[in-house]
Amino acid sequence: MDRRLTRYLLRRLWLVVLAVWGLATLVFFMIKAIPGDEAQSAAGITATPEQVEVVRERLGLNLPLWGQYLAYLGRLLHGDLGSSIFTFRPVTADLGGALPATVELVAAAVLLNLLIGVPVGMLAAAYERRRPDAAIRLGAIAGGALPLFWLGLILQHLFGARLGILPISGTQSMGMEAPRVTGMATVDSLLAGDLMGWWDAVQHLVLPAVTLSVPFIAFAVRLVRTSMITALEADHVVMARAKGASPLRVMLQHGLRTCLGPIVTLIGMQTGWMIGAAVLIEGVFGRPGVGAYLTEAVQQKDTFAVLGVVLFTGVTVTLVNLAVDLVQLVSDPRVRAAQLGASPLGAKA
Amino acid sequence: MTSMTTSALLRRPVLRLRRMPKLDRAAFAMVGLLLLTVAFGPLLAPYDPYHVDLGQAMLPPGAEHWLGTDSSGRDVLSRVLYGARPTILGSLCAVGLSALIGVTVASLAALAPRWVDDAIMRICDIALSLPIMVMALGISVALGPSLRSAIIAMVLSWWPSFTRLARAEIRTTMTSTYVESAVITGVSRWRLMTRHVLPNSLDSVYVQVTLEIGGATLIMAGLSFIGAGAQPPSAEWGAMVESGSRFLTSAWWTAVVPGAVITLTALAFALAGDALRARTSGREVM
Repeated sequence: MDRRLTRYLLRRLWLVVLAVWGLATLVFFMIKAIPGDEAQSAAGITATPEQVEVVRERLGLNLPLWGQYLAYLGRLLHGDLGSSIFTFRPVTADLGGALPATVELVAAAVLLNLLIGVPVGMLAAAYERRRPDAAIRLGAIAGGALPLFWLGLILQHLFGARLGILPISGTQSMGMEAPRVTGMATVDSLLAGDLMGWWDAVQHLVLPAVTLSVPFIAFAVRLVRTSMITALEADHVVMARAKGASPLRVMLQHGLRTCLGPIVTLIGMQTGWMIGAAVLIEGVFGRPGVGAYLTEAVQQKDTFAVLGVVLFTGVTVTLVNLAVDLVQLVSDPRVRAAQLGASPLGAKA
Repeated sequence: MTSMTTSALLRRPVLRLRRMPKLDRAAFAMVGLLLLTVAFGPLLAPYDPYHVDLGQAMLPPGAEHWLGTDSSGRDVLSRVLYGARPTILGSLCAVGLSALIGVTVASLAALAPRWVDDAIMRICDIALSLPIMVMALGISVALGPSLRSAIIAMVLSWWPSFTRLARAEIRTTMTSTYVESAVITGVSRWRLMTRHVLPNSLDSVYVQVTLEIGGATLIMAGLSFIGAGAQPPSAEWGAMVESGSRFLTSAWWTAVVPGAVITLTALAFALAGDALRARTSGREVM
């Protein structure tokens, strides 16, 4: 068992290394595909010819293509993604500053997804092919068809501008800012013991998080419904029903437990999609996250910033997928059996 | 409802249509309407969508301009009708090309030795680890933002999911006895794939294409919204929402109308895809 586990882990890690290398190669060729002088774009439009030459030398652009490729990989290994031509700071530093706001937003959206998507999906499964199920199905399809950026604008206009019950943009009100520790407004204000500030930060988080979660909840509802219906057809559930278990107990104890695998996988997958979707939301709600940084960088034609974010996101998603697989391995005996070839009961197969 | 393949459904559309639930019929009608708009929209448009007339700016919907005018005095209805082409046709291209590449790669993988198949799957994993939005922004910086870059980006990040789908289907078909007997009679690999395997493996790909067009419209519009797709003053729906978003308080229709059209499009294709899927799999799937 132990040797099989080690072999599985080594294989997974090897695949992660392979994926990261592939991503880096992809980004390298994206840089190469850009028309014009790369040294010029790295140094900025205002750079003098001398400065451009210095940059050319430093980036190794005088080397042949494979030399440039190796130099690029070498810089990546040192955590060097290049510098932004707009903020004049290393892209990694910019990313570090922007990451907390995105993590906060994605975490809030995932939480909403679990709190709403899973119960509603179970409800639909419980009423399979009856009125509530049909209504939920329509709602889920409609939720998946809403353009996020448009929904965000409308919610912002309705609840922020018209009704004035929620703040329109930013992460905290003026004068309410907590001292920066983690960079997440909701966490920092709690750390500072400032309850008013925390409430203020939460209010700022509501609209973007709700907007971001809508299509993901729609997707989760359908997935939970489908896997729940399959789970409820299993023999052990029929058995539990026959023994007189209450419907609620059947749903939670017997149904939901077998669906946890797909739900964990879904949450993992959605984290990646959400980083992509945050690109659309953060700009609308003025949250200084990775998505807003990326949008800004695209508009400024800030090549290294954009491709730095591309690489960073790809690596993040790869790592999240690895984490999901490991969680599955630890929590689900069936996955363990399939991946490691061990019997689900722990006995020799 | 008995199981029915998509190809059979396409062959006898009228017969099928009569037995269809109302909602599905509405979805197919809406899809038809949208495709007609793509084809004839510019002919129906009452005004020139690019004609700027500041004296007519931000007129509310009325008899003269059914859906009002935008901040430059351009007729919103005409722009929406013109915008069907970049938005829907662009999404159709993106999804169609992705499916074509995906199926081709999957067929090659099925015929090639094991290690080629493995390598292709690893490449798919890598491509799938990049969210489409992020990939598209990378491409738009590399190639310059335009509708074309947006389509290229979508194809680059979308083909692997079609490869995976088609690969799974092809593998199932390959195990059936009639394929085995075809192999024994000695048909060429090309003929085996095109005449025996693919025709029986592509139903789920057709369904997926229909389902994904809605999602593609959302992404296409989103890319234009953040400035990585069609560029202003182009009458693309996402770009229209973006330029209208600054006037939500004074002229809500400039942002709300194109957004609502995007929603309707995505909804119509999602429902139509669902209806197709329910029919091909023989049971209602959610």
